[in-house]
Amino acid sequence: MSTVGSSRQTGALYWPVQLRRNVGVRGLFAVVMAFVVAYGVLFPGLLTGSGFAKFTQSWFPLALVAMAQAILMLTGGISLAIGAMVSLGAVIAATIMTGPLGVAGGAAAVALTGLGIGAATGLIVVKLRLPAIVVTLAGSFIIGGAALLILPRPGGAIPEWLSDLLAGNTPAAFVLLVLIVLLWKLYLATPLGLSLYAAGENPVGAYRSGVPVDGARIAAYAISGLLCTGAGLFVAAQTGSGDPVIGTAFTLNSIAAAVLGGIGFLGGQGTMRGALAGSLLLSLMISVMFFLGFTPVAQYVAQGLIIIGAVAIPQFRKVQQ
Amino acid sequence: MTAWKETVGGRRALTILRSRPFLTVAIVAGVWIAASFASRGFGAYGHLRYLVELAAVIGLVAAGQTFVVIAGGIDLSVAAIVTVSAVSLPLLSWQADPTGLTAVLAVLALTTTIGLVNGLGVALLRVHPMIMTLAMATFLQGLLIIIAGGSAVTAENPLVRWLGNARPAGIPAGVLLWLAVSVIVLTAMHATSFGARLFAMGANPLAAALSGVPVASTTLAVYGISGFTSGLAGVLVLGMNGQGYVGIGDPYLLASIAAVVLGGTSILGGLGTYAGTIPGAILLVTITALITVVNASPGWRSILFGSLILGLLLLSGREQARR
Repeated sequence: MSTVGSSRQTGALYWPVQLRRNVGVRGLFAVVMAFVVAYGVLFPGLLTGSGFAKFTQSWFPLALVAMAQAILMLTGGISLAIGAMVSLGAVIAATIMTGPLGVAGGAAAVALTGLGIGAATGLIVVKLRLPAIVVTLAGSFIIGGAALLILPRPGGAIPEWLSDLLAGNTPAAFVLLVLIVLLWKLYLATPLGLSLYAAGENPVGAYRSGVPVDGARIAAYAISGLLCTGAGLFVAAQTGSGDPVIGTAFTLNSIAAAVLGGIGFLGGQGTMRGALAGSLLLSLMISVMFFLGFTPVAQYVAQGLIIIGAVAIPQFRKVQQ
Repeated sequence: MTAWKETVGGRRALTILRSRPFLTVAIVAGVWIAASFASRGFGAYGHLRYLVELAAVIGLVAAGQTFVVIAGGIDLSVAAIVTVSAVSLPLLSWQADPTGLTAVLAVLALTTTIGLVNGLGVALLRVHPMIMTLAMATFLQGLLIIIAGGSAVTAENPLVRWLGNARPAGIPAGVLLWLAVSVIVLTAMHATSFGARLFAMGANPLAAALSGVPVASTTLAVYGISGFTSGLAGVLVLGMNGQGYVGIGDPYLLASIAAVVLGGTSILGGLGTYAGTIPGAILLVTITALITVVNASPGWRSILFGSLILGLLLLSGREQARR
């Protein structure tokens, strides 16, 4: 905020503040680095262009939904409709992009649907004062039903050049992710973005200080919806077609990633870099277990244990101190 | 005109009329009456009895969920626990015990233990309930496939079969079981010190802990109860179905939470009653039955279900204004 001090002073404060925000997630960063090394050893192709491209592509959709969940959790909300939104984005992309509207029309439809449904969810939660967890649970049925109406069974198609661009041997996914992170930094500098943490940490206090609490929360839902349908578009490009239930697993994984990344359920606690690291850890875990030859069943068991461990150990240490 | 509102009896009547459990009962009654006019056979005794029988499973799962939610938590592992119960029971049926009671008790002990592990994670490791129970559900999901494989297992246990099919005095045994559980749950919730601690913990955990509420052991108990009632629901659903398979419990996660919230219990904890969850469970089953009558495509059915729950939430689930 410009009123806090001159730009030079805030500039000098910027890095120490950012460093302090890292304190809670340092352990996580170390674990992620260890997993990256393990992955690099198991799969030496990581350092080649195509290996890096494939690796970021498998991470990208999870990173997007983790961000989508983290934004909501920062404002004190939550969404159980993430998976349904991803599915909806995928089927819309797969039905419209090969039609008369083309890729641009399809992408616009995906973006508008995400923003629209997200904003509608936000309005219901914020203005009608209904609990977010139940609204999004009911919403997941409505959104999932809409996806089934658009595409009752897996089908549709994505233009081949788009699949090659997004999910071929290009680092497009990584570039997009960097862009999205930059946009997030920009958003945090806007009045609505600044209100995000305040609205989550202490809504009453923020409201009384003139922070647009309701606006910040509704905007968070809209952005979250956009990120989810965007992830759906990418998943459709990866598979080359649409599937009305392809997103189901993303709901739980988005919450797991956000919480692994140190985002608190009460709002206002955590950082987006933490959520991204959490999603990277989850994605790495799945890949490493795959390379170690774990059966899908054993992966479930291990995933459950690791999530509890990763969340419990820092808490446990805090309690002992 | 308004004189009756001033009397003690009048005021008491108003409190009941305004209470959320009553509102939910009124909605159920209204829906049943409207539906029986619209669709012949909906209001028949046999059909309504069938609806309540289906609601019994949801009601049992939601009993534990109500405890957990009032205490300020949430249990997302109930569906997995129902499946654990329904899948492991047929594998446990020993021939040595002709009634099959030991097997049922063993399964209930198992599911209660699972619930207690949830409680341990939440109370001692301080893992957020949503993550703890979610991770537990993921863990159990993997374990179940290892134990049962992909195939369905048939229940031969006599007690389980009786529970699913018998009708003493014309009332399904499952409904009787639900009735018994409801009485116990309502007593524990509203007439014991355990119940009082529950509400205190849900409203303000810090204040409750400082006032001497044993938060850790109460949390443990709450999740243990949830494991127990989910296990019971698994036994019942196995009896009604005849077979257990992986995924049999899946519908009951959303149903249990929706029943709790539709019954007027605050998802934030500290406020609510199982008396609201009971009609909430029946309401859910009724909605599902109505949607089946409409005979729409799966997509529309899903949309209808979600919209109806959202609409009903407006009637019974609103939070207090913030300022």
